[in-house]
Amino acid sequence: MIRRDRFDLLLFALLLGCVLVLGLLLLKGQAPTGSGARIDKALEQQIAYQARVNFLHNLYQPVEQLRQKGQLAAALLKLDELARKYPQEAHGEILRGEILLKRKAVKQAIDHFVRAVRLNGDYVDQASPLSRYPEIQGLVEAQLPVFRQRAKSNPQSQSLQNTLTGLYYLQSRLAGGCE
Amino acid sequence: MKRLDRQQLIILISGLSLGLLGVLLVVWGNPQNSGICVSCFLENTAGALGLHNNPRMQYLRPELIGFVLGAAMMALIGREFKSRGGSAPLPRLLAGIFLIVGCAVFIGCPIKMFLRFVAGDLTTLTGIAGLVLGVWLGIKGLAAGVNFGGSQRQTGGAGFWVPLGFVLLLTFLLWPPGFLLQSTRGSAAQAAPVLISLVVGLVLGGLAQRSRFCVTGAIRDGLLMGWRTPLLWGLAAFLTSGFATSVLTGQFHPGFYGQPGAHLDLIWSFLGMLLVGIISVVIGGCPFRQLIKSGEGDADAGLVVIGMFVGAGLVQAWQIAGTTAGVGLNGKVAVMAGLVFILANMLLYRERTA
Repeated sequence: MIRRDRFDLLLFALLLGCVLVLGLLLLKGQAPTGSGARIDKALEQQIAYQARVNFLHNLYQPVEQLRQKGQLAAALLKLDELARKYPQEAHGEILRGEILLKRKAVKQAIDHFVRAVRLNGDYVDQASPLSRYPEIQGLVEAQLPVFRQRAKSNPQSQSLQNTLTGLYYLQSRLAGGCE
Repeated sequence: MKRLDRQQLIILISGLSLGLLGVLLVVWGNPQNSGICVSCFLENTAGALGLHNNPRMQYLRPELIGFVLGAAMMALIGREFKSRGGSAPLPRLLAGIFLIVGCAVFIGCPIKMFLRFVAGDLTTLTGIAGLVLGVWLGIKGLAAGVNFGGSQRQTGGAGFWVPLGFVLLLTFLLWPPGFLLQSTRGSAAQAAPVLISLVVGLVLGGLAQRSRFCVTGAIRDGLLMGWRTPLLWGLAAFLTSGFATSVLTGQFHPGFYGQPGAHLDLIWSFLGMLLVGIISVVIGGCPFRQLIKSGEGDADAGLVVIGMFVGAGLVQAWQIAGTTAGVGLNGKVAVMAGLVFILANMLLYRERTA
């Protein structure tokens, strides 16, 4: 049996005191105090994301309007203008891909979709309000056999190989998994 | 025919459970091919605690808590919980960081690598080759006298701190504090129900503690002793049950392209797993085994676990982790730095006979 001396007793007393204070702090911390509301980082993060989605919606609204009117060339020019101001914004790439696809410029459309997904994975995330999952899935399913064949018949074409690699990349992202 | 002894049976059950539950966790909600991945779980948990700011990788993974606490409970029940440690603490901490660097560049720990493989992901073949070569180099190192020093029995209860840290994480899981982050999109938003994940973690943690099952340990023993070693049979059981469950649940998609959570930078997959293989042998276990050992009171493994948490934060914050698009410059530099670190330490910690 270990013999306890006075210093042990002092340490026990201090330890007990600290545990009690800690317990009180934890209990008191349940209620909001006057010094400020309890932080909720997860909620703040969601609000910031929603604000970003709204910002993108407003920013690219003119492009959407031109697109709906069928003025695709004007929409592309507007996207050029916005790309100068926000060069790394994935949403512009997605819209450009969609417009090019409508103009039957499939290869260029794929390249822009790939760039967009590389910049922001939300476009292949079914839970995101920015999601373009069904469109990209449809594109990959339709174009993968076509570009596989084209790349096979033109093995020298680096550009075709890059697009095929891009399609594989999109296929991989659609399949999910860890990032 | 010789009957299986108790230890061999536990190893086989561990391997079978790891494969079965590793695939079923995907069916229950975890990301594709990522039912169990220690490095991904650490990255998710580090993100949830605010150690990095990737909003798609933040979730306090219950499985991780289960692994350590399951091992701790089983060690306490079996009277195997012993506070021990004290050898090469700083190199072990740094080794933990580089373990996660290697895993993150490959996209997955050794367990996930084999889960990806049994789901038909052929890009893992270079990773497997890298891991086997790494383990072989590690064995060569041990044979040549590389030794970080053995763990010593310690007084003062050093071995309790890491399990207690995971008890704290468990309280965060049950009563989430305001600072805890939770992804609403991305792979961290995909998760099996909390209770199922926690129970699976506890079961696998307990079994792994009993069996000492470890992927790199199985490869190491296989290279040293051939098919006689029980751990290798455990690995074979893991692969068999993982493959069968993948096929039965419709998750087997063989191929090289379009695989979930995989990239085609095969050289870097190889080098990432080479790094993991060498480090795992030198420090005595893969990331999963380090978690289990820390649950048994091994403070040396506990330091590796802390290093792995730091690494998990860094690989995301510094964009070291590989993505489906490939491995960036930061990832390549980090892997090479990791290889320099472990090779230099093998030179420095070599015991030479006169």
